Amino acid sequence: MTGARKLQSDKLSEAEAIERAKQGDGEAFETLYHLHKRRVYSLCLRMTANTAAAEDLTQEAFLQLFRKIATFRGESAFSTWLHRMAVNVVLMQLRKKGLAVVPLEETIETEEESHKKEPGADDVRLAGSIDRLQLEHAVENLPPGYRAVFLLHDVEGYEHNEIARIVGCSIGNSKSQLHKARMKLRELLKASRAEKATKP
Amino acid sequence: MTCDEFERVLPELEGGHSSEQEEHLRSCSSCSELVSNLNAITDNARLLPEYEPGPQVWNAIETALRQEGLIRQPQLQLVSPASSSPRWRFAWLVPIAAAALFGSGLFLIHRQVDRQFAVKPAVTTASVTTPAEPARNVASSADEEQILAAIAARAPAMRASYESNLRAVEAYIRDAELSAHDNPNDQIAQQYLTNAYEQRAMVYEMAINRAMQ
Repeated sequence: MTGARKLQSDKLSEAEAIERAKQGDGEAFETLYHLHKRRVYSLCLRMTANTAAAEDLTQEAFLQLFRKIATFRGESAFSTWLHRMAVNVVLMQLRKKGLAVVPLEETIETEEESHKKEPGADDVRLAGSIDRLQLEHAVENLPPGYRAVFLLHDVEGYEHNEIARIVGCSIGNSKSQLHKARMKLRELLKASRAEKATKP
Repeated sequence: MTCDEFERVLPELEGGHSSEQEEHLRSCSSCSELVSNLNAITDNARLLPEYEPGPQVWNAIETALRQEGLIRQPQLQLVSPASSSPRWRFAWLVPIAAAALFGSGLFLIHRQVDRQFAVKPAVTTASVTTPAEPARNVASSADEEQILAAIAARAPAMRASYESNLRAVEAYIRDAELSAHDNPNDQIAQQYLTNAYEQRAMVYEMAINRAMQ
């Protein structure tokens, strides 16, 4: 009976849970889900900016993972494997909807636009603390391609070579899109701050 | 280096600037502020909070896993020679063993009462072996074989030990039954038989626990 008691999800380590999940242990699946749900869901939510879509994609990512868990050999970290799966699920969904994940070597904005300095733009400074809530809203308002690269690189910590492989673009394009995403965010944050400053 | 030149190479700069770029940053407040802003965005991006999905997400996942048969709960199964799955429980044998014990006790009490009022003890003696008893013994043997098979699957080294215990307790039961049969009015003989059945129930329970581990 003590063996059964040990299977309480809060006492299972990830490694134990993985092995038990391979045997079809429901509690082990639940343990793995609770260990990683926030990161996966947050990624899905930010990529889609839609709660219902994020929940569906989270569900799909975990289901795909659990279906393949018997093939997990431990060569990479489990979280990495899961996260990669989640990213692929999200990107596939975006592609199905016809949303360009990352433009192929072409820029959305013109060269002029990306290098233009608007008069007075520097008057509103971003120096000092950035309001993270405003940053979240700004990320939501990024074009999907920019948003994907920004989230993968700056939020999730992927390297450009990994992003290039995941989204199917060149490393140079990934770097270019990231820079444009950051520039766009800067612009959005400044606009948001300026709007706040003018409100009574 | 001009501001345009600096911004052109900015996407390629990942945490490092050349001396020329450093020099430009020192002399140009606009580009310096730009780099500072972009760094602040990156730094805060890493600190964005994580969100919690609603409970319905796990519920949906669990339902799908069960439907696809990926969650395999331990099932109550009879062990057959072809079965290779060790995942089954014999918890139900505990109440059966207890019921057998209880039934045996009732049977003994009933027989004792019969003997007290019997006209022809021999007839009553002949009635000791009820139709249920052979079935019970056959059932006990079958149950024991299942338990031993389960233990063999889970802990082969323990099988011999449990088999030995079961055989010993069965021998004890036979002796106690014989004694109770020969001495129907002997309370101690009846108690011995009750104890023997209790011991068998305990061995069953220990074996079942071992099989469940």
